[in-house]
Amino acid sequence: MSLWNNCLIYGVVSFGFHAFNASPTADDAVSLRRSAIVGPWRFAMGKRDAVVVLSSDDGGDEGEGEGEGALSSSRSRSKPAAKPHLARSEPRRAKKPRVSGSRSRSSSSRQSSIVDEFQFLEEDFNEVFTGAKVTTGFGRSTAKESWVDKYKPCTFEELAVHKKKVEEVKSWFEERLITSKDNLGDHVLVITGPAGVGKSATIYVVASHLGATLCEWNTPTPTVWKEYVHNSNTGQYVSKLDEFEAFVERTRKYGLISQSSAGESKSSAILLIDDLPMTHGNVARRRLQNCLHLLVQSTHIPTAILITDYGRVDSADREARFLEELHLSLESAGARKIAFNPITSNAIKRILSKICRQEKRNVASEQIDLIAKASGGDIRHAITALQFFCLKVDWPSFSSSSPTTVYDLHFGRDETISLFHALGKFLHNKRESVSPSGKDPHPMQEKFMRLPFKMDAPEKVLSQAHGQARPIADFLHENVLDFLDEEAVDDASAVLSYLGDADVLLHSFHGAVARNYEAEGVVQSAAASIAVRGVLFGNSHPLPPRWHSIRKPKLWQSEKFSLHNKDEMLRQRFMVYNGVSSIDTSVIATEYMPACKWLQHRLQAHEVMMLSTEIEDGISLDDREVKTSGDEIEEW
Amino acid sequence: MRNIDIELTTLSSTHHVEMNPSDAGFQDRYVVQEIIKEMAKNRPIDTKGKKRFKVLVLNEVDKLSREAQHSLRRTMEKYSASCRLILCCNSSSKVTEAIRSRCLNIRINAPREDQIVKVLEFIAKKENLQLPAGFAARVAEKSNRSLRRAILSFETCRVQQYPFTINQVISPMDWEEYVSEIVSDIMKEQSPKRLFQVRGKLYELLIKCIPPEILLKRLLHDLLGKLDAELKHEVCHWAAYYEHRMRLGQKAIFHLEAFIAKFMSIYKAFLIATFG
Repeated sequence: MSLWNNCLIYGVVSFGFHAFNASPTADDAVSLRRSAIVGPWRFAMGKRDAVVVLSSDDGGDEGEGEGEGALSSSRSRSKPAAKPHLARSEPRRAKKPRVSGSRSRSSSSRQSSIVDEFQFLEEDFNEVFTGAKVTTGFGRSTAKESWVDKYKPCTFEELAVHKKKVEEVKSWFEERLITSKDNLGDHVLVITGPAGVGKSATIYVVASHLGATLCEWNTPTPTVWKEYVHNSNTGQYVSKLDEFEAFVERTRKYGLISQSSAGESKSSAILLIDDLPMTHGNVARRRLQNCLHLLVQSTHIPTAILITDYGRVDSADREARFLEELHLSLESAGARKIAFNPITSNAIKRILSKICRQEKRNVASEQIDLIAKASGGDIRHAITALQFFCLKVDWPSFSSSSPTTVYDLHFGRDETISLFHALGKFLHNKRESVSPSGKDPHPMQEKFMRLPFKMDAPEKVLSQAHGQARPIADFLHENVLDFLDEEAVDDASAVLSYLGDADVLLHSFHGAVARNYEAEGVVQSAAASIAVRGVLFGNSHPLPPRWHSIRKPKLWQSEKFSLHNKDEMLRQRFMVYNGVSSIDTSVIATEYMPACKWLQHRLQAHEVMMLSTEIEDGISLDDREVKTSGDEIEEW
Repeated sequence: MRNIDIELTTLSSTHHVEMNPSDAGFQDRYVVQEIIKEMAKNRPIDTKGKKRFKVLVLNEVDKLSREAQHSLRRTMEKYSASCRLILCCNSSSKVTEAIRSRCLNIRINAPREDQIVKVLEFIAKKENLQLPAGFAARVAEKSNRSLRRAILSFETCRVQQYPFTINQVISPMDWEEYVSEIVSDIMKEQSPKRLFQVRGKLYELLIKCIPPEILLKRLLHDLLGKLDAELKHEVCHWAAYYEHRMRLGQKAIFHLEAFIAKFMSIYKAFLIATFG
């Protein structure tokens, strides 16, 4: 669909060009493409109704959108000659990938044969027209479309986002659009939230409600270098970040220029920055941060910046930390921040059943329930899942009446939990208060009996947390003692013994099992399982839950230090002993270093250099050399 | 073909090369192979134009990995014409049979205490020190039959107090004192909290590169000195058990701590049984 989308946008851009050049030729198309490179933004009511701006003189509401759509489609039809060129450059600007199959084909066709390309174009044409029809039909007629686009919310009632949040966003924009806009300092709204919680949708709906035009920045699709060289023989490469900076600079200085060409009143424009350019490395990040900071401080157009929190659960990730920083800097610059939460499963259910009604599909409510649960608050995902589900009627797990769980669905966002969450589960060791009634066929001795877990099987929790055996064992080892009963030394012994087992297992594949990855995987998961279950089993008197912080394993630090010290010793050994190289590090550590420290200490205390005649020549040298490392150790 | 960079210091003359291949860690086998090959290529030639051999001294052969020992065996055979090997190790039990059978095994015993005393007396004479009778014997006794250790502690004593007195304190190594501190800690209280404190001390020792095996040995040694005879056997058993697992495993602290926890558990049960 995105390709189709872009086609229409080209219609928009080329419109301007028609003023200068009545008949667009191939050359024009090239220059058009360049202009697209310079300014990849589009005017839109909604993401897909790119057409609307084309001639909607008074900031068109939905009703007018229809007509406009039809118009533009006819427009693009009227100049098929320019089409092929336009189509060629399209993928650059595609926002969402089309169906992946056709997308990959488009790139391959470019390289291989013209025939393919023509087929591809034909396909595109078809899509353009069907797409256009869809727009005119209020976007709800063809089955070809994905439901996510089809049921894009157009009114506040259709939004699944919590009303309060919507209201917050709406009133913020109202304040800035309707009241005089210059006396208010802040013109930037930052909306954060996980993927698929309706951040963009809210903005679209609010914009259409307020009759404002959305001017949108989307990060251009990444360029394949070869493709880029092929397409433009001249000009130099512009990085995405550069483009973004240029864009921000322009908007800051001149406002939305193209706006006036469309005959808009300036007051009703909203700038939407949906997708921040990808940044790597500190330099690029600082640039982006500065750029946004400037934007926040100086823009006069109400601007919404949408930031997606990618799994912020693992705070160790640098990307996440950068986002955090970015939030702070934006806020300090005076931006208003609104955080969107994952959508509640009730809201998702409401939307899903509405779609079912409109599609006239018969989906049982518990299945909708299941899909809603599996989506993890991501409505986009939930709708796609529903559509997928409706494709095939006879899902094996649903045909039987047996109770189904989330995992019986063959799709769904796999829920993940953070490492610390998982560790907390293991360490707190919450259990049921009563053992299950009923006779156990294999009764165990009293001392091996444990109450059932109050959580999923440890292995499942592990897999949800993507736990690697080694760090899990290290973390458990570091923290487990805090969670044991004051008196329970036996428990401590059992737990540590099990952790030792895990360690032995983890080491076993280090050299002995030759690079057999399958075996390695088994060993890894077995070791993790032993470590976790050992901790759970060994801690037979779990403490009542209370707050504990989880520490980072000190082991890592200590290993680093000891390695460093060892290197140091090895380096000094040759300097010091002048040929007596046979001395082992353990000997140095256990015998020479302590003795030398003694000697050194005494020397400093008495200020006498009586040891000029040393018993062993080596040692006197040794004194001076080892002194430094000895001091270092003291500091630690 | 991949390239590996290993930094290794060697000591060499025209006739010999001395090195410590186990310094290279897990890549030790490449070191052994390459050095020997290199030596075979550049054979020294004596004045009569005859090809001679070079001597390669390898230290700490027992610390070489199994793979390295294996490849050492092959290279030894192949290049025996161009070089002679002298392998040194602390314990021959960790050198593979294959290598041992290809070598002439010479065992060098640790010096006896009277031999150590002789050396100490010799040093005293050279240094013009007054050595009271019996003092050298005490130093030798504390040295655990290690001549190096004896000389080191002799020198330490010299710095601490001179002229010597007969019952002068011969201070143990600082880490040994630290270990005895740990031991008295765990004898005093047996609880997860105490275990956690002990862990911190163990880390400190490990950071100072005290080998965990030696640490465990010393721990056991000190514990046995303080324990009831009844418990000695069991504690020894567990020490051996965890020492073995320490060698199998990777992170020594896991096993050291497991041993201490086990000891605490045994000792606590014993205390409860004895004193109620």
